[in-house]
Amino acid sequence: METSFAITGKGYVIVAADTTASRSIIKMKTDEDKVKTLSPHLLMAYSGEPGDTVHFAEYVERNIRLYQIRNLYPLRPSAAAAWIRRALATSLRSRSPYSVNLLVGGYDTASHDPHLYWIDFLGTMTEVPFAAHGYGAYFALSLLDRYHDPEASLEDGLIALKRCIRQVEERLVVTPGKYKVKVVSKDGIQEIDL
Amino acid sequence: MEHSFASPSGHPQPHQRHFNPYSENGGTILAIAGANFSVIAGDTRQSEGYSIQTRYAPKVFRLTDKAVLATNGFAADGNMFVKKVRQRLEWYRHAHSKDMPIRAIARLIQTMLYARRFFPYYVYNILGGIEEDGSGAVYSFDPVGSYEREACRAAGAAQSLVQPFLDNQIYFKNQTPAHGTSHPAHLPLDHVLELVIDSFTSATERHIEVGDGLEIYVVLAKGSTPQVLDRWQGVTEMTTTQDGERMFVIRRNLKRD
Amino acid sequence: MNTLVQRFSTTSAQSEINKAKALAADDQDFDDFAWGSEAGFGTIAKGVPTFSLPAVPDPRAFLRLHTDDHADPNCRIKIQHGTTTLAFRFKGGVIVAVDSRATAGSYIASGTVKKVIEINPYLLGTMAGGAADCQFWETYLGMHCRLHELRNRERISVSAASKYLSNLVYNYKGMGLSMGTMICGWDKTGPSVFYVDSDGTRLKGNLFSVGSGSTHAYGVLDQGYHWDLSDEDAQELGRRSIYAAGHRDAYSGNTCNLYHIKEDGWHFIGNYDISKMHYEGPGNVPGSENVGYGYDVRVVGRSSANPPPSAPTPVVAA
Repeated sequence: METSFAITGKGYVIVAADTTASRSIIKMKTDEDKVKTLSPHLLMAYSGEPGDTVHFAEYVERNIRLYQIRNLYPLRPSAAAAWIRRALATSLRSRSPYSVNLLVGGYDTASHDPHLYWIDFLGTMTEVPFAAHGYGAYFALSLLDRYHDPEASLEDGLIALKRCIRQVEERLVVTPGKYKVKVVSKDGIQEIDL
Repeated sequence: MEHSFASPSGHPQPHQRHFNPYSENGGTILAIAGANFSVIAGDTRQSEGYSIQTRYAPKVFRLTDKAVLATNGFAADGNMFVKKVRQRLEWYRHAHSKDMPIRAIARLIQTMLYARRFFPYYVYNILGGIEEDGSGAVYSFDPVGSYEREACRAAGAAQSLVQPFLDNQIYFKNQTPAHGTSHPAHLPLDHVLELVIDSFTSATERHIEVGDGLEIYVVLAKGSTPQVLDRWQGVTEMTTTQDGERMFVIRRNLKRD
Repeated sequence: MNTLVQRFSTTSAQSEINKAKALAADDQDFDDFAWGSEAGFGTIAKGVPTFSLPAVPDPRAFLRLHTDDHADPNCRIKIQHGTTTLAFRFKGGVIVAVDSRATAGSYIASGTVKKVIEINPYLLGTMAGGAADCQFWETYLGMHCRLHELRNRERISVSAASKYLSNLVYNYKGMGLSMGTMICGWDKTGPSVFYVDSDGTRLKGNLFSVGSGSTHAYGVLDQGYHWDLSDEDAQELGRRSIYAAGHRDAYSGNTCNLYHIKEDGWHFIGNYDISKMHYEGPGNVPGSENVGYGYDVRVVGRSSANPPPSAPTPVVAA
């Protein structure tokens, strides 16, 4: 029952994912970090087929880094998201496609605004003010329709995130457990202990 | 284990792998309620797959002077069901010396359909007529008896073609009235008849299971004047009693290809 | 061996079928329904109604073959599914709110379904699952609630009424009934809500939501719910929750019907168009600010951009 959330606010994106790694009915690990830092202003939460997820995330991570080394400047969030989506779409048309769902959140240091992209394993991408993957989406999206504020302070953004997490804890049969929460803003990436 | 079977009632019974007592005979039915009238219509084509079985098989039936039942789906079930409803209405007439009111007929149809909950009649019913207060009524049913009173309803093969047209023209869905005006709550009879005919000619153009003939039943509340019907051709009066509701049927041709 | 066990077993669904079959005899339509007798109720007033069954070894498989749209989307008899319903208890009584959409596959069969069934002036039932199952059995429950009043000179409790329904549908377990309902009312104990479904589950609780849109409704409902809600705020919460489900769940929508049960029985509060609630709000009703519930309506003009104070305002892409 993997679940991930992401919420934009005034000058930041919060990206959160549960920390459970499960196989069949067993929790193999309860402190797995499923939110990758791709660049100083880019975060990516990934979930889906075990094995594919980490492989794909690392592949993305290395290529984003490579771009930065070659060009001496990083990709902007929109460009990075487009590249990641394309990588998934290409993989989908190969013999063994990656089955990975992503939330890509970044802060564009040029235009001073946060960006969040919802991407699924089929290569569908859309830019949204808030997003969720997994069963959590069924509870959190209506909640965020009601409570999300694009101009919320980080403090209020985290309150909205806690609402989502509490809601899923209260209603989902198998609770995802603990979450890893990271925030990207103009000051870079910061991990938050809820 | 699978070869012979004792039926629940104990009679020996041959084992049948696929018992399929249902078919689908196409066609479309439609009913619209006005302020003091009700219009119930259906095409007369009966088909199975790509074969037309007959060009005249009525799907709309007079129940009483103020109630009409249209059936659609599996024709054999429909005919049987109408027969049973009429039988029950006759018993009611014998017991109470009056016709059953339409809202009671609606509830009767619900219980009759639900009695077959585990062996359903494959029939979509629409009941039209005049309520005791003189208003036009339409009741629509699903095969196992859930029902609702509405102002208009189309069912059958071309339901998805006709219903959106009716939503737009009867309920004025997605239409904004011109400034300072409002949409009428009830449409006059000639307008409704024109909509019904347009619905069926259009459905005939775009649906292979619709065509051949059209039967439109018109039920008028007590005291309302049937003069409007003078300009329509092929009108036959079906009323059997004096000074009650009056019933007419309009028969028309639809394309036969 | 199986057939033998089935014939003599008293607990299996097969034995239920046997019993129903024995009751139904050959021409079930004639004996009990005849003459419009029994005050016009036919078999209903006599106890459990009788059902005719197909003469096949396994009537359940037969019914599933022809009606179950999950197993076969092309099957002929489409039973209407897809719903959002909710009910919650608070200090001011019970709020019951439902949507009004009925779907058959992806076709919207109706947008005006009454999913709140008015059992009597003190009891409401909600409708999720098979429309006919809910309508029929809750109407039938209403008759028995009236009989209880006549026999005992007092109104039936919500608990007893819901137990009656639960026992009833449990008798048909495994035969394909599909209903998820909340029985809501006000009795000697105050306001109460019971969830009853066709599996035989019966739960007492403060807050329930049932149907394909229930998760979305819960998202808003749980966050706004507390016992001490004012009447207006509770009604607004019911409306907003159904709106949320209508917005996020494709199988729910069209309009919201809202009821409030108080000590003197239920009151119909109103019918609200869900699209209208999105753009304009529910109209001038108590508890509502009368602005659109929609996210895009609510946040119009608000931006996440955070330009430094000194820098010139950047051109933000729409």
